[in-house]
Amino acid sequence: MPTDTATAPPARHAPAPPTGQRRFLVRRSHRKKAALFTVVGIIAIITAFPLLWMITSSFKGPDEVLSTDILPSAPTVDNFDYVFTSVPFTRYLFNSFIISVTVTVVALFFHSMAAYALARLKFRGRDTIFIAVFSTLLVTAPVVLVPLFLVVHRLGLLNSYAGLIIPAIFSAFGIFLLRQFYLTIPAELEEAAILDGCGYWMIYRKIILPMSKSIFAALAVLFFLANWNSFLWPLVATTDQDLQVVQLGIVSFFEEHSADWNYVLAAAFVAAIPTLIIFGFFQRKIVESVKTSGMK
Amino acid sequence: MALAGAAAAASLSGCGSSSAAAEGPLQFWNFYAPPPSDDPATVARAQWMQATVDQWNAENSEQIELVFAPVLGSEKLSTAFAAGTGPDIFLISPGDIIRYINGDVLVDLEPYLSQEAIDDFFPDNMATRVVGDQVFALPMEIEPLALYYSRPAFEQAGLSEGDIPATWDELLDIADKLVSAGQGGWVVPTTQGYYQNFVWYPWMWQGGGRVMSDDGTSAAFDSQATIDALTLWKSGVELGLTPRVEPAGDDIVSSFVEGYASMWQSGIWSISDFQRKAPDFDLGVFPLPVPPGGEPATSLGGWAFAANAMGRNPDAAARFCAWALGSTDDAGITRVAEWCVQTKTDIPPRQSALDRANEMGGFDTELMRTFRDDIFPSGRGEPRFPPVIYKAVSDAIQSCQLAGGDAADQAATGAQAIDAYLQTYEGAQL
Amino acid sequence: MTGAIDTAGPAPATHKRPGRSRAAASDLAKRERRAAYLFLSPNLIGLTVFVAVPMLLSIVLAFFSVDGFGGYTFVGTANFERMVGDPQFIDSLGRTMIYLFVLVPGLFLSGLGLALLVRSQFPLVGLFRTALFAPNVVSLVVVALIWNFLLTDDVGFVAKLLGRLGITAPSWLGDPSYALGTVMVITIWFSMGYYMLIFLAGLQDIPREFYEVASIDGAGPWQTFRNVTWPMLKPTSFFILLTSTIAVMTGGLEMLVILTSGGPANSTTLIVYYVYQQAFVYGEFGYASAIGSIMVLILLAWSALLFALTRGGRFTHAD
Repeated sequence: MPTDTATAPPARHAPAPPTGQRRFLVRRSHRKKAALFTVVGIIAIITAFPLLWMITSSFKGPDEVLSTDILPSAPTVDNFDYVFTSVPFTRYLFNSFIISVTVTVVALFFHSMAAYALARLKFRGRDTIFIAVFSTLLVTAPVVLVPLFLVVHRLGLLNSYAGLIIPAIFSAFGIFLLRQFYLTIPAELEEAAILDGCGYWMIYRKIILPMSKSIFAALAVLFFLANWNSFLWPLVATTDQDLQVVQLGIVSFFEEHSADWNYVLAAAFVAAIPTLIIFGFFQRKIVESVKTSGMK
Repeated sequence: MALAGAAAAASLSGCGSSSAAAEGPLQFWNFYAPPPSDDPATVARAQWMQATVDQWNAENSEQIELVFAPVLGSEKLSTAFAAGTGPDIFLISPGDIIRYINGDVLVDLEPYLSQEAIDDFFPDNMATRVVGDQVFALPMEIEPLALYYSRPAFEQAGLSEGDIPATWDELLDIADKLVSAGQGGWVVPTTQGYYQNFVWYPWMWQGGGRVMSDDGTSAAFDSQATIDALTLWKSGVELGLTPRVEPAGDDIVSSFVEGYASMWQSGIWSISDFQRKAPDFDLGVFPLPVPPGGEPATSLGGWAFAANAMGRNPDAAARFCAWALGSTDDAGITRVAEWCVQTKTDIPPRQSALDRANEMGGFDTELMRTFRDDIFPSGRGEPRFPPVIYKAVSDAIQSCQLAGGDAADQAATGAQAIDAYLQTYEGAQL
Repeated sequence: MTGAIDTAGPAPATHKRPGRSRAAASDLAKRERRAAYLFLSPNLIGLTVFVAVPMLLSIVLAFFSVDGFGGYTFVGTANFERMVGDPQFIDSLGRTMIYLFVLVPGLFLSGLGLALLVRSQFPLVGLFRTALFAPNVVSLVVVALIWNFLLTDDVGFVAKLLGRLGITAPSWLGDPSYALGTVMVITIWFSMGYYMLIFLAGLQDIPREFYEVASIDGAGPWQTFRNVTWPMLKPTSFFILLTSTIAVMTGGLEMLVILTSGGPANSTTLIVYYVYQQAFVYGEFGYASAIGSIMVLILLAWSALLFALTRGGRFTHAD
């Protein structure tokens, strides 16, 4: 956001409209809300429909799991029961949870620090460093998989939680997004803080972090999800059964020639729930406008 | 710059094998044990693996540890090998083996096997693991391909046992009758990949066709047999008999049960899949139909044990493979037989084990007998082609089957690509 | 929050005597630099070790022939020369360009559209947002199965639905003419919630007063969008345009591996799939790295262009 225009909103406070006009505005907003509700509702249903099939099919027995009927003829929770008892699925969920949460928290912290420096501080080499950081986004996963494996192997981190967590923390994505976000902060806030005698760390803690709530909420969901659903890196970086993550757990219902689709669907459904809960929880935060212009 | 790069790469990987702990048990990467779930069939297979390893560990100083590596043919194994940290013992598929042979990664097991043992293995199936006198892997099972059919679907279409097709024309005709009667069609793989090639080869072999000449120096792909086989699969799709996408996520059991398919080309492993998921289904099987003037033929799949020549103890690894699958004593033969007919429904890779399996009642069911007597004898091991040749064949199949390609053109193009590649190929005979 | 920082603070530093202010200014600059490096270091170290080093290694590998078992032979530019004469490489690159031209605007517009629709409060909006994001959450293995099932010829849900309308559906995933388009649709379905999320975060960045003023001024929805929303969204838009291009070009691999294996008849073999195939199916890590390097160059060029057009993504003259 151009910082110059951000400091010049038309700071007029128009008088409240007369009663009749207000009622008209309220009715207009009701109609608008009803329209939105309908349109969004239809899109949401169409979008979620394929997933509804997944959900209902996970309650079907193995004989009809891939039938074209949407609803099971004899609903059962046996699939879920099996998923949790025959396979250490709880352990897989736990592993994924530990990894995803740790990576998310640490990444948010590190990335926002770096983004703050790149967006708000002036120093030599800033743009060069930003470009260098940015260009790490350009990698293609299959090409760096083996080199990364070599590096992690050399560091002795294979087959450990550290080996799953640490490499996942560092990515330019969060830095880039946060930097864009921090560019829009009015300079006056920091200048005032500096005049107050605040050090950069204080500015970071007292101004930047509180302002980041909504963007952190968005990134938290994305980081958590990326790590929760990661498959390739855990596959090559671990051999220990105790370290298996959720996506590998789903694969454990694939035999060499066939798949137990009823268990796969049940496992995938369970695996999808945590992220949906987190998203559901955070989505209001993301949309809340924390940032008024600050000029009132 | 180049030297620096080479040094960097070497320093990171080259000394991988020596820096890896020389102590510690040898690692055996497999997709059976430790079992990923409690399913009885899965557990039975894991138990066989564990019992074999346990017995070895009790009788030998070098210890072996089983490591469960899912989706073994994938990134996991490639990455480990590329980084110089490949497992000491592992399961290898037929299609992959040429890369490993040419990379000098596999220990020659011949010195560790008695001649009696080597002769005991069925040669047509062994051939792809052998170069001259050297044996680079030992098969643990044989999985022939055949055509399964759904008896309920046949009944509903008014067909009987007498209608089982024996020729290509009959196959298309019966498939047409089934589809017209509202039953599912005839399924062959449509997803491109090694598996599709594997399933397609026998249709070409039946007409006497080969991909390579006998001495392996030139392509024999451009032949009438190839054209006929490509045309057969093409007709299947064009006539609406073969679905363009395998039904039910490529699951034969669900497809037969739900009526999405009536005939399906698959391997002997499907018998145990039906046992597990739909034991009451009325399943039938018949050998692949032949073209006019053609000979019966089918592909033989199945995995094998291999020892890593760059592992920590190639000698012990090789001894283990030879002992586990190539022992000629009673226990060794029984071990192989038990794997094939008790934990799975496969054909044993050795004559003596097949005899033992017969005694164990492994072939008492009609389906297994059909495989043993009518299907297996005409089988040939899945060829070991390097990626470029695999791709040339795959492109031809895909083009004809799904993209309306002309079979004669595709056969010619494929042969050209293969010949071009062979100009620079240096390695074991294909 | 605005109350915490009192704009009427002590007199600004410029009122000090000139000589002292120069020294104070350079001190300030040094402090700023030190602080910047401190803030940057954890990430820089981690990025270097776990991203930059593997990246550089892979670029070095592009000049080698690798047999996949630890054998490295220096071959100079042979891999690059091979690329030029490799019809499969050229085909996949062409396909990828088409794919990019459709998908990047598609994701941008769908993400923005959805975000605009769900940014306000109305009953059940939270549930709807979750429903729109849900596809992105599910394991790709299951996404592939679901769509494989929905799109099955004749028996699949889509085919049946179209059949009732009298249309014979083509084979969405089994016909080379349709497969890439189908993958595009599925990818948009899968990813639009992701971009919706980022746009939502960017939209909330726009101070509410701007909208209040605009509506009091009598601006209609389109005018509001054009004059208030769109300009304020520039940093987010820039970000999404850039990262979505990168993501579309270098990502989506698992979707292709599970859903189509690059087929039918290579019609969905995008460049990322081709690289994967060369590396992990054929063991040609050197050649794969060479292709990867070319991809990096293409993306660098595109990024450089976008950065130049937007002055480093800052969209300002000063700063």
